[in-house]
Amino acid sequence: MIDTPTLENPLRSGLRLGRTPEPCTMVIFGATGDLTSRKLVPALYNLTRERRIPGGFSVVGFARRDWSDDFFRQTMLEGVNDNSRSGKVDGPLWESFAAGMSYHQSNFDDSDGYASLRERLDVIDQERGTGGNRVFYLATPPESYPVIIRQLGAHGLNVSPNGGWTRIIIEKPFGHDLDSARDLNAQVLSVFHEDQVYRIDHYLGKETVQNLMVFRFANGIFEPIWNRSQIDHVQITVSETVGVEDRGGYYDQSGAMRDMIQNHMMQLLTLTAMEAPVAYDANSVRDEKVKVLRAVRPIAPADVARYTVRGQYGPGNMGGSPAVGYRTGRGINPESQTETFVALKLFVDNWRWAGVPFYLRTGKRLPRRASEISVQFKTAPHLLFADSPTNDIEPNVLSIKIQPDEGITLKVSSKVPGQGQIRPVTMDFRYGTTFGVASPEAYERLLLDCMLGDGTLFTRRDEVEASWSLITPIHQGWAAGPRQEFPNYEAGDWGPASADEFMARDGRAWRRV
Amino acid sequence: MTTDIVTIERDLQELWKNNTAEAAAAGHSTTRALTLNLLARASSADEADAMGAVIQELTASHPCRAVVLIDQPATGEPQLEAWVQANCLLPAPGAPQVCGEQITISSRGGRAGQVASLMLPLLVPDLPVVLWMAGDQPFGHRLLGKLRGVLDRLIVDSAGFADPIRDLVTMAAFDAGDTPGPGAGPDSPALSDLNWARLTPWRELTAQFFDTRPFLPHLHRLDHVEIDYVAAGDGGLLRALMLAGWLASSLGWDLVDGGVSRAGEEISLRMVRPGVGAASGDTRPVTISLRPAPFDNNALVGLSALHMRAVDHVLADFSVEHTDSPTCARTVAQADGHPTVSRLARVERAGAADLLAAELRLLSRDRTFSAALQAAAGFARGIIVP
Repeated sequence: MIDTPTLENPLRSGLRLGRTPEPCTMVIFGATGDLTSRKLVPALYNLTRERRIPGGFSVVGFARRDWSDDFFRQTMLEGVNDNSRSGKVDGPLWESFAAGMSYHQSNFDDSDGYASLRERLDVIDQERGTGGNRVFYLATPPESYPVIIRQLGAHGLNVSPNGGWTRIIIEKPFGHDLDSARDLNAQVLSVFHEDQVYRIDHYLGKETVQNLMVFRFANGIFEPIWNRSQIDHVQITVSETVGVEDRGGYYDQSGAMRDMIQNHMMQLLTLTAMEAPVAYDANSVRDEKVKVLRAVRPIAPADVARYTVRGQYGPGNMGGSPAVGYRTGRGINPESQTETFVALKLFVDNWRWAGVPFYLRTGKRLPRRASEISVQFKTAPHLLFADSPTNDIEPNVLSIKIQPDEGITLKVSSKVPGQGQIRPVTMDFRYGTTFGVASPEAYERLLLDCMLGDGTLFTRRDEVEASWSLITPIHQGWAAGPRQEFPNYEAGDWGPASADEFMARDGRAWRRV
Repeated sequence: MTTDIVTIERDLQELWKNNTAEAAAAGHSTTRALTLNLLARASSADEADAMGAVIQELTASHPCRAVVLIDQPATGEPQLEAWVQANCLLPAPGAPQVCGEQITISSRGGRAGQVASLMLPLLVPDLPVVLWMAGDQPFGHRLLGKLRGVLDRLIVDSAGFADPIRDLVTMAAFDAGDTPGPGAGPDSPALSDLNWARLTPWRELTAQFFDTRPFLPHLHRLDHVEIDYVAAGDGGLLRALMLAGWLASSLGWDLVDGGVSRAGEEISLRMVRPGVGAASGDTRPVTISLRPAPFDNNALVGLSALHMRAVDHVLADFSVEHTDSPTCARTVAQADGHPTVSRLARVERAGAADLLAAELRLLSRDRTFSAALQAAAGFARGIIVP
């Protein structure tokens, strides 16, 4: 090594792309699974294509199946061609990228497999200049996480040689209740330091979710109205048209609460309700998010009937075609009590939000795929204009759409030209039409952030546990309650009738998304 | 054909009314989106058509109010004509159609004051005002003087300069506010050069070598730089000079007195850089050679290779070279005690709309460009007066 006059790269100044990470090796556990070929390798290829990853970057696929390096590369090539947002690969560019890909066959509990992995990584460091920098990506079923983590620790793969860095990315679900999440955290942190751990929730990689923070904290006009004085309530909806498809075995053990609410929707809730962080860095942002979760009033097991609604879809029609019910799906118990729809009412007990309900709603086989946060403001304090059949004076609603049409809409009342009539109109900002640049896939952003050592968009230990501490009592209340009369909504409906009644009790209604 | 502001505005209203009705009849909605005022000056109808096509393409990323001026002061009797059009994107299924708007003004035999008096009221308030002048260097143009005070950015393309070396010096003086010419001075608009924008992939690939920790120290110990440029074709030499200027200004290299020499198309620059380590406080020599390369279709934006070498203390060599693929460059980093890192990197061939869009994303002065331009102008002055 020679001495370094400065740690900054002066050629970076004024360049519009951010700095690139140092060369590293990404080891993907469970590399023969769907996630690797559909999401991870296409994201890595696109990052390479856009010059965001440096030369020397390498990928090692680690899995049980008896695949060769060539077969692994070929399978990934097909995955990229089928799933990449940039279309078919550029031949020479793929060859250069794929030259850094190899496959390592081993069972997850086979100690020898990790010993040989360590040797392989040392060779890659020597040959490709990756400098001991490593990312371990757990893309396996969650039951394999503990053994992989133990084996990595046992073989000294939790620390890097030569002053490099080692990080680990853990896919959701992170535990299935509070106890299991705590156990998993304890196991992870017995081998890795918290700042090496990147718990991924791909929702945070979405541009609109990040824009939520920009929208709130880069625009001064919203802060004075973003509180209980002006806001009547908030609705957060994540509706899916899909059923459980081939995930029946997993989903029947999980349900909508674990699959959606505990992670994605809690992220949306915290970003909507959080105070401005002192800085835009990993710990400042996550500190504020955790404060929101701690302020959420837990729903006690005895109160679940009052604050929650569950549903499960039966046969129905989706987009003009018949759709089967949940219980007839592969791997699903025909008597299943698993919820495919959940609605919740939560309160954030702090000065900003006291008394403002946050309604969360998610479900499968709903009529439309949409994710949005809508903030409904209070009505004008005094109505000057007569409420009549021709006047429709509605409260202002600010909707932040996350998918599919990413954008922000504000509903305001306006006079119809030439008449005395008042009608609601919307002011629209759409990401796709205002900025012509294609948004990167969530995984591209998150993988790059991890390689750069930026954990802002990943979930911290206390955040995961705080979230589970709200979810687990609800599961306990449900388990202690009577059996549900499932199915209680038809595929293609907006959830069970009880979800509408749930809102009507408060004198409100779900927004049509 | 209309020539007064009231009529132009009425025509615009009519245009949007018809546009909305047509969109509704076709089963979709239409959205007028304006993110800036883009004034474009062309010297012929053909050039205006070419600029109009770029503006249309630009609607995808920067829908705008465009005012295209066909400026032919020496042609015929004084005559002003204007017409309006919408620039619309094909709507995606289910999405509204996004449209910007364009006003084209044809001015024959007129004076700059007349034209500017028509352009100024057409600016949409609260949006940035950008003037795009294609072709030869525009720094003496009277329109610049008339629009001074409202312009936020002036966009030129030095690839089209008639006398590249001298015009580069003029451009640097304008950017520094050193000239009394029209539009210049302390409150002169921010300047963008599309020819500089073409260098972006080269700069990124060069900078990326030194994002890697073990390579970063070598950046401060570079001794030799070679830039191979395609002498035939537009703007290659200026790009090579600006790339050299960027390295010099970023790394604190100073040209020594009489340090520029030219032999045919080959230019040699003798410079000094700060010493590091034991030599800290001293200076060390650095040479930059700009070497002509034969014309090659695959040369990326008129440059075919960049080599940087350090021989001080530890040997290291970094290179970016074009390949047989028209969209790829090969980067190679070698340093004693470190494995060689080589890869192919994609280098997109940016069209005029892409370059313009990249510059329009800037909201303030590009200080890196200004510093590189001043250094490059220093080299150019040495070429003019050896």
